[in-house]
Amino acid sequence: MSELAHHSTDYSVVESESPQVMARNLRVASQLWASATVFFFFAFLFAYFYLRSLNSQHLWHPHTVKAPVGLGTVITACVVVSALAGWYAARRLEAGDERSWRSAGIAALALGLAAVVLQIVEFWTIGFGPTEGGFASVFLGWTGLYILFVLGTMYWLETLLATSFRYRGAGAAGHEPGEASGDPGRTGDDIDRPISLVRPGAGAFAFYWAVLAVIGVATWLILYLL
Amino acid sequence: MWSRSSDGRRIAAITVIGTAIVLPLVVFVLGPNMPPGKATEVAKGQVTDNTVLLVVMTPFTVFILGYLVYAIVVFRAPKGETELRDGASMRGHMPSQIAWLVTTTAAVLFLAIFGTTELLANNGAGSGSGPNPVAKPSGAMLPVQVIGQQWEFTYRYPTYGGVETAELVLPAGQEVAFHVTSLDVVHSFWAYELGVKADANPGVDNVAYVKPTKIGTFQIRCAELCGLWHGYMFDTGRVVGAADFNTWIAAQRKQFAGVEKYLPKYSPSYSPDPTFRAG
Amino acid sequence: MSLRRLIGFNLLSAVVLGVAGFYAGWWLGHQITGPSIAYFSATNQNDIALFVAYLVGVVGFLVGLGFANYPVQRLLGKPPTLREKEQQGAARYFGLCTDHKVVGIQYLLGIGAFIFIGGLNAMLIRFELMRPTHLVWNGNNYLTLVGVHGTMMMGMMTSGILGPFANYFVPLMIGARRMAFPRIEALTFWLLMAAGTILMTTFAFGGFPTGWTGYAPLNEQANMGMDAYIAFFALVGLSMTLLGLNMLATVITMRAPGMTWGRLPIFVWATVSTSVLMLLAAPVLISALLMLTMDRAAQTSFFNDQAGGSSYLYENLFWFFGHPEVYILALPGMGILLEILPVFSRKPLWGYRLAVTGMLGIGLMSFLVWQHHLFVSGINADVRPFYMLSTEIISLPTGFIFICALGTLWKGRIRATVPMLFSLAWLFNFLIGGLSGVFLSDVPSDVTTHGSFFSMAHFHYTIMGGLLFAFFAGIYYWVPKMTGYNFNERLGKWHFWIMFLAFNSTFGPLLVIGFLGMPRRVVTYAGYLQGANDWVSVSAFVLGASMLIFLANLIWSQVFARVPTGVNPWGSKSIEWQLPSPVPVHNFDRIPTFGSDPYPYGEDAGSMLAQRPVVSPARPTP
Repeated sequence: MSELAHHSTDYSVVESESPQVMARNLRVASQLWASATVFFFFAFLFAYFYLRSLNSQHLWHPHTVKAPVGLGTVITACVVVSALAGWYAARRLEAGDERSWRSAGIAALALGLAAVVLQIVEFWTIGFGPTEGGFASVFLGWTGLYILFVLGTMYWLETLLATSFRYRGAGAAGHEPGEASGDPGRTGDDIDRPISLVRPGAGAFAFYWAVLAVIGVATWLILYLL
Repeated sequence: MWSRSSDGRRIAAITVIGTAIVLPLVVFVLGPNMPPGKATEVAKGQVTDNTVLLVVMTPFTVFILGYLVYAIVVFRAPKGETELRDGASMRGHMPSQIAWLVTTTAAVLFLAIFGTTELLANNGAGSGSGPNPVAKPSGAMLPVQVIGQQWEFTYRYPTYGGVETAELVLPAGQEVAFHVTSLDVVHSFWAYELGVKADANPGVDNVAYVKPTKIGTFQIRCAELCGLWHGYMFDTGRVVGAADFNTWIAAQRKQFAGVEKYLPKYSPSYSPDPTFRAG
Repeated sequence: MSLRRLIGFNLLSAVVLGVAGFYAGWWLGHQITGPSIAYFSATNQNDIALFVAYLVGVVGFLVGLGFANYPVQRLLGKPPTLREKEQQGAARYFGLCTDHKVVGIQYLLGIGAFIFIGGLNAMLIRFELMRPTHLVWNGNNYLTLVGVHGTMMMGMMTSGILGPFANYFVPLMIGARRMAFPRIEALTFWLLMAAGTILMTTFAFGGFPTGWTGYAPLNEQANMGMDAYIAFFALVGLSMTLLGLNMLATVITMRAPGMTWGRLPIFVWATVSTSVLMLLAAPVLISALLMLTMDRAAQTSFFNDQAGGSSYLYENLFWFFGHPEVYILALPGMGILLEILPVFSRKPLWGYRLAVTGMLGIGLMSFLVWQHHLFVSGINADVRPFYMLSTEIISLPTGFIFICALGTLWKGRIRATVPMLFSLAWLFNFLIGGLSGVFLSDVPSDVTTHGSFFSMAHFHYTIMGGLLFAFFAGIYYWVPKMTGYNFNERLGKWHFWIMFLAFNSTFGPLLVIGFLGMPRRVVTYAGYLQGANDWVSVSAFVLGASMLIFLANLIWSQVFARVPTGVNPWGSKSIEWQLPSPVPVHNFDRIPTFGSDPYPYGEDAGSMLAQRPVVSPARPTP
């Protein structure tokens, strides 16, 4: 037997990681996931400019293909305002104001879902199909996948809000320092108290959602305006 | 420290002596036999290039392999030593690290500069260089269009009425410009002895220059996976004298005169049907 | 076994739901495409149905394993828990398990099985090439074998070292009890298993003719087997992205006190560099494959030059991923090499900072070299000198790894154990691989070598000679810690020598055959190359047979002989060798505090720990 560990089978030791570490995990993960997302859409950015510069068979952008600028602007506005609301909500939660967090969070959720619905409406009424040249391909692929990312991010926001509502009375404050993780160097409450992870979760969410909104604005500039 | 120790001296000696033995072999025995042979100026340039690469690699290879063998033989723990004894605690040695960095950097920069010079001096060194290469041979050129299609190459001679042939014949001593394109998927036109390789992309005119000098035959293979019969997409081309070439091309024009009016007009690339959709 | 134990979230339900989901998706896809079925009837091909079938099948598979429980609970705001799977014993290995050590062993067995299938394909390919003309396989079957071999290896081996060894040992090495995201960790493994199964279904849909690169527009012309390739690589890409994210987050946040960046074991640095590449390169692959999916299923024209697209776009996007990909394969091998050399030379790692710089430098540079795969394609031909330079510069950080390895051997006390033999062979093989790469990085030489057996032999020297040898080094070095039982040393040495000699006897001649003008992926070749090809084929069969020795060793030593490993048979000073074998579920009674890197050989510090941790009961009060 070694001095460092003894044999036993107990998941709860593994599970009891301090919320400070969990919070850092969430923040780091949202930054990493944001960079992966940027590279994901970078491929579409590259496709746009590459195919545009080649313009093979002069079929890059036939005149019949027109991006619906009005609807696109509304969708992008929904995303941007939702991201601002998310940012504000996370700031309020950081300050301990759970009521404002919940109301601003619901507003952000509603706006994000509105963007999804409007995007579906846009596809329904768009007036050109995927077969009509390079621009149509890039447009439909890019916006379609972007809105899937929006939907996924809205799911994340919903989980945070749901936890927040379920544990409304518990309060995010009120740490119970202890040796929960079996390590005197690590203090903090246990992840048995899920509410303790909503605050860093909200911060991580707000960061990622802001990055996605910036990608949305770039999408709008390139696909609708350029 | 390590450069002054007897081990260091021995490894240095192994490297120097080994290089002195191997280098002449590389230059005089292996080098002249490197592919792709001496049928064209471009191919000769590639042989030179391959030889230079080998020469640059030789001292590094001799050093690393010599060092490895020396270390395994000399630094081996004695057989039957059961007790674990640690070696010397050395965590680095700045002079040797810097020496390594400088040597490898010099080799790399030399190779990059040398490669670029060879590429430009040999007019693209026989590689497919896109529709409008920067380095072009001067003087008159015979344009030959190579059309890749599943699963054969055909050849058009635009200066001879755009005749399309199934066989590639080139006049010796004449600078040739291959214009490689495809009708369907990506192929790659590889004329091994000529030292030419150029991808055939649909809708793209990919140009490679070569000047065949030796009369004889050469292999042609498709070097990019192009589907079911890719393995059977090979051919033999011929380099003939100027007079023979003129006889041959006249015969071809006569033979294909009936087909000529059905051929599309010669162009850098072809689109069989603008509404064609793959998939 | 009682019926009760069979019903629940386990592999059995996963397979049942996966197959059911596949057929449900197949039916659903045909419903969706119903009105336009006339379009498909001409080719008897319905890509939409197959894509939907794969999607629903994978979702069903994951639901069956229990991956849906957590997201659904979170949707309702319920508390998260890792205790989704509290079976004991062997059952843990056949389902969703969030213990990083279980996932590591799952990876080892799961990936090992698929690599074995990939290797069998290689045997079948080499059998065909014993004759210059047709022997057994027709053109389509041959190309499908080539494609499945390449795709399976390139897809599975990306996680070949990170999957088993980084999952198992990185948390131990940095003094953590778990990964940052244990559920994602389990997900990456099961995604790979779903992906591998999907790739095998390509045989049922006519195979695919494109090889692992899947160039456009051949990939749009291909029949439905191509969809299996797309689904496989997209799932592998997703798995890689998540694996990279999880590893990076773990190393950034979960390091124990005293485990500074300058003390990280070099294997962890290799993991970090690989993870960055995975995180950033794999999304581009997924994008490219989604474009291809849309081209095939929705008739968009990303890669169709007849309708405003370009096949060059695919080549660019694929190799923008593809070149980091080959370093995703190479870097973990370098990590294992530099982790093992100090142990069996009994010396500190020589030039630690140089090695770290080398690994990060390779990672950075690998994003800047992708067009060297396209030197003769006609893409941006005028910028080729830049790519020539950047490609040759990438040999500088690779050289750092070599000089660090050589420096570590200097005046060491080398012990020729099986893992050490594999590591030394790595140096030899990778040297050949690197030197042959110089020919490919130089445009005039590349004219002959591009797309030939030379380039194929080159990357087998780097990937098989590098990655697979390091993989086996890792197996012989670490598996005794993972299972608690030693390997048979004599069988291990037989395995090594036969594999090493057969490997070089296979791929050394292939370098020459390529120089003599034989292209890759052909079913026929020039008659005068038959002698050489027969030699290569026979060597390849011997190489394949050496894997059977390994399997025999694995089964004999781990199932029958069962010689206990003890705590530290190698005398390593790294922390994982101070723990019991196998490592207990919670890893450490108390989180350790580190005082040095894991290489204090010949130094006063006896181990890397700053202070001996106090022994305490494992279970704290909740």
